[in-house]
Amino acid sequence: MNEFFAALWSGLMIGSLYAIMAIGLTVIYGVSRVFNFAHGHVALIAGYLAWLVAFELGASYIPGILVALAVMVPLGWATYQWGVRPLMRRKEADFATLLLTLGLAIIVQFALLEIFGPRVKALPEFFSGSVNLWFGPISYHELSLVVISVAIMAGIWAFMTRTSLGRAMRGVASSVHGARIVGIDTNRVYGLTFALAFVLTGVSGVLLGTHSYMTPAIGWDWMIKGFIIVVFGGLGSIPGAILAAFTLGVIETMVTLYAGSLWIWPAWLAVFVLVLTLRPQGILGGRTA
Amino acid sequence: MNGGFVMRLRNLTTPGRLLGLALLIFLAAWPFLGATRFTLHVASLAFIWAVVASYWNLLSGYSGILSLGNLGFFAVGAYVSSVLAVELGISPWITIWIGATAAMLIVTTVLGLPALRLRGIYISLLTLAFELALPSIITLLGDWTGGGIGLLGIPTFLDDIQRWQAYYLTFAFAVVALFVLYRIINGRTGMAFVALRDAEDFAGAIGVDRYREGIKVFAISSFVTGMAGGFFAHTLGSISPGMLSIDQFLMVIAMYMLGGVGTFFGPIIGALVITFGNEYLRVAGSLRLGLIGVLIVLTVMAFPGGIMQLIERVRDLVRVRFKQLKGASDVA
Repeated sequence: MNEFFAALWSGLMIGSLYAIMAIGLTVIYGVSRVFNFAHGHVALIAGYLAWLVAFELGASYIPGILVALAVMVPLGWATYQWGVRPLMRRKEADFATLLLTLGLAIIVQFALLEIFGPRVKALPEFFSGSVNLWFGPISYHELSLVVISVAIMAGIWAFMTRTSLGRAMRGVASSVHGARIVGIDTNRVYGLTFALAFVLTGVSGVLLGTHSYMTPAIGWDWMIKGFIIVVFGGLGSIPGAILAAFTLGVIETMVTLYAGSLWIWPAWLAVFVLVLTLRPQGILGGRTA
Repeated sequence: MNGGFVMRLRNLTTPGRLLGLALLIFLAAWPFLGATRFTLHVASLAFIWAVVASYWNLLSGYSGILSLGNLGFFAVGAYVSSVLAVELGISPWITIWIGATAAMLIVTTVLGLPALRLRGIYISLLTLAFELALPSIITLLGDWTGGGIGLLGIPTFLDDIQRWQAYYLTFAFAVVALFVLYRIINGRTGMAFVALRDAEDFAGAIGVDRYREGIKVFAISSFVTGMAGGFFAHTLGSISPGMLSIDQFLMVIAMYMLGGVGTFFGPIIGALVITFGNEYLRVAGSLRLGLIGVLIVLTVMAFPGGIMQLIERVRDLVRVRFKQLKGASDVA
């Protein structure tokens, strides 16, 4: 039974990390209808940058993370303005942006491989030590990951509902034409949406880097997992993504505990197929595209 | 159709068709024109990739089904066929059909039926998830598939197969598969997708069912791609989960991108260019990965029509110039 509770905790913990990853994805998709195939690689850029600044260049941990996240802002802005924006006018915009983000992902993967090499890297834990619960120890680091994730989720929720930029984003999400009519500069909103989403994605990259490990190719896994979560929760729905992230995090650790880690990907695929068959709009999604 | 013999001859001799015919004759004669064993080997790989890229293009370029899992179909076909040939000793000539059928059934029921009702990126991600799950599944079935190391000593089509034999086998496969594709694109199914793309409401009104047509091309594409996997396995004699690597996956996407999305000849040209380019760039090592990425981004941003668009532009330029010359001589 203790094993079960330990796996449950670790599932909830990893679920909170996946939630941040999925929110970045769903924010971009919800607002701009662009699916970012380089999503996992964006997270990797932040993770590797934090590692580089904090430990190779000898600044400490917090400045390293801050620099990495600061870089995400212009990166997101530029990706929209120079990459996505010219393609959105095309008739086959879906396909064009898919190929663009796919190409960008592979360029990032190549650059990371050249700069950092193929070896596995991990960011150190934020805190050492642990607290004992009835089923076993919980490290302070894991606890801090959950706290940070929940704080970010609350922050995003407040941003989307309370600030004018957040409302503008939701306005563009529900109707681009309507937003233009009431005087919203849609290209600015799209650019800022990308910047915000890239920062969130960067956070998730750093957190995932401290919990598991980073390789230049793992971005694909992160992106697909983020996407399955987003579909499970309903594309564009933030609460749905959070709920789905926790559910899938727990499923993942339970599968690992009772069947072995080789079953992780088949399990994710099975969940994906089931969701698409039974409830393609996701658990909290309103309608499908 | 009653245009008479001359009209029909004229239809048969459009520049594109003549060019295709010339290319066919050249490729058929190539082994006698001093091709080395290495170039023959690369060429037979190029034929297989031309089929894979062309049928991928059928899904993404023509039908708007943005699949990312075609290498998965390829791997299913290759593995099913190889395992049957190795374990049960069945002739590869039979197992490639079983492999292709298995690829079609698995892919269409597991991926096509749930995802084709939805549009856009659902199918992309479901197929990509399928491709990412396959290496684990292959490892789980390690008793038959050889796990991560791969399967060696797969029976080939002919005992002790020579390079030129492999060349002609894959060449024949490519010609047949591409001829079938040509008929599909210019037949009812192709027209249905043109209608769906250009006038969806009208297409619906005359009874074109997107879901049914989608399932149809999905089944055809996975069948032929699975068979291409069989040809790959039974001419090389070994396969491994490495065939599902992200490099290989992007390479095939780059083929039809560079050649020209939504054109018949584009993916074929792209497959030849990229397969040969890739073999001669082996010295560049991991730089190739970055090159492919840059190639994809540049093509989609600056040259979405690929090489075919380039060819068309050159042809238009030549035509305009020709007309000008003709006009000038008429005046004189």
